[in-house]
Amino acid sequence: MKFLIFAEDSKNAGGIASKLRDSGDVHAIIMKDQVEASSSYGIKKIYGLTGKPFADNVAESITKLNPSSFDLLVISSTTLGREVAGIISAKQNLLCATEVFDFTLQNGKIVTKRFFYGGKTIMEEESEAKIITVTPGSFDPQNGEKTSEFEDIQLPQSKVNLIETKPKEKSSTNIEGANIIVSVGRGIGKKESIDKIMPLVEATHGELAGSRPVCLDYKWLSEERQVGLSGKKVKPKVYIALGISGQIQHIAGMRGSKIVVAVNKDKDAPIFQESDYGIVGDIFMVVPKLVEALKK
Amino acid sequence: MHTYTSGGNILAFNIIVLVKQIIDIDQIRNDPKTGEPLLQNIPLRIENLSKNAIEAGVQLKEKSGGKVTCIIFGTDKANAAMKEAYAMGVDEGYIIKGYKGNNPQRTAKILSEKIKALGNNSVIILGNQSADSYTGMLPGMLSSMLDIPLLGNAVSIEADGNNLKVKRVLDESDEIISSPAPCVISVTQEINQPRLPPVLQIMAAGRKPINMEDAKDEDVPVPKVLSNLAPKSERKREIYEDVDKGVEAVAKAIRGEIR
Repeated sequence: MKFLIFAEDSKNAGGIASKLRDSGDVHAIIMKDQVEASSSYGIKKIYGLTGKPFADNVAESITKLNPSSFDLLVISSTTLGREVAGIISAKQNLLCATEVFDFTLQNGKIVTKRFFYGGKTIMEEESEAKIITVTPGSFDPQNGEKTSEFEDIQLPQSKVNLIETKPKEKSSTNIEGANIIVSVGRGIGKKESIDKIMPLVEATHGELAGSRPVCLDYKWLSEERQVGLSGKKVKPKVYIALGISGQIQHIAGMRGSKIVVAVNKDKDAPIFQESDYGIVGDIFMVVPKLVEALKK
Repeated sequence: MHTYTSGGNILAFNIIVLVKQIIDIDQIRNDPKTGEPLLQNIPLRIENLSKNAIEAGVQLKEKSGGKVTCIIFGTDKANAAMKEAYAMGVDEGYIIKGYKGNNPQRTAKILSEKIKALGNNSVIILGNQSADSYTGMLPGMLSSMLDIPLLGNAVSIEADGNNLKVKRVLDESDEIISSPAPCVISVTQEINQPRLPPVLQIMAAGRKPINMEDAKDEDVPVPKVLSNLAPKSERKREIYEDVDKGVEAVAKAIRGEIR
């Protein structure tokens, strides 16, 4: 079999390649600056896109590689990725299975899993989809043996005009790759309270993350730290949820965690149903005690 | 209706907002034994981002003139959603009946045909990803089927003559991008706070006629649903109301992982 991947970054290209490479040859289209970092994942051919990516010109470049000659086109489901998938699916009249977090290929068909009803259910579907969009972070990138060939593709002119690009402040945050995550919700009360949580982040050598209200509505934390259906999907070894009620959309973002710890003063908070260990109590009383206990 | 004039030409936008009606997913409970979602008697609502799309369309009309037309691809239960759209400032509404569940290919075909029938030079505004199915396919599909540019993931829309300028938010950067109409604009939740219409407008909306149509059958593949159940949670659920005991248990459980 033969697969084509489009991902903007090397980690997701590598994750998808690791999932596919035992079943056939993997080709990948990625941004040029990610090509080098993608060369260790056993991808047969890596196409590096140069120029400014828009949905239309990326879709055009992928279309030139004739996606229907591949058994499957796998697109990392970023904002750009979903737009590209929509364009190619419509233009080539190819069925696209969307927002897939796991899949298996069997007898010319594909069985895909995705969240439905806003994360309340998991829908398992069988189809002849030739395109799938995959939730970023679904598969771990592992080094492969095959050496890669390289080719550059210059992106054609887009119909959209770019007036200005403002790069976001580069931060070292990578909650998707974190082993330990300390995640805060509305229950911390105010932005300043994050300072009181930091000793636990340090004691666990963890990364700080937050729920949708904390990151998007109140902006106590930056958007890139948001865990949830509409944010990052994380699967650390330990996920510590502080003052997070446990809305299903949040659970959908952290369900893959190995151990889940929750602290909440409401003993009926749904987060406890999704926890291995729960402490009913005041966060600001529990956190210092936990820091102390971990030092022992 | 107020129109935007520039150099003697009247440039009023033909604004089309696409609205999805969904069952109120926050009210869905799962059967504790079988894990099946219990969908009976759950009310319908306008999908959250569709409200942002309506608001963005109405704001664009208020600033630049034009007309806002709303299309709902739904069922005969979509009247309430259309009345809500009218109350928010939509001028004309079409309900296309025949929605049979999540199938972006079919939805995009039906919507794009209606959009073509409504005329040229339209600005099509829709949510970027709906809260129930999360496919995110429609913006790209519509831009492809209508062969017009996509200004995606917008947190603001500004009109300058016939040009639409959008702030697009991406993971690594924010971009200001633009295109002349016709174009497709997909919006995010952050773009606006949808208005709560005053009572008089709600009453007036109730009397406004709604155009009803039936969807044509489209020959598109339909995936076979193997199962649709609540995810199984195999967590230990050791919950401590005694904080000290809880801290001790947690420290013991995670100590090995944090080294």
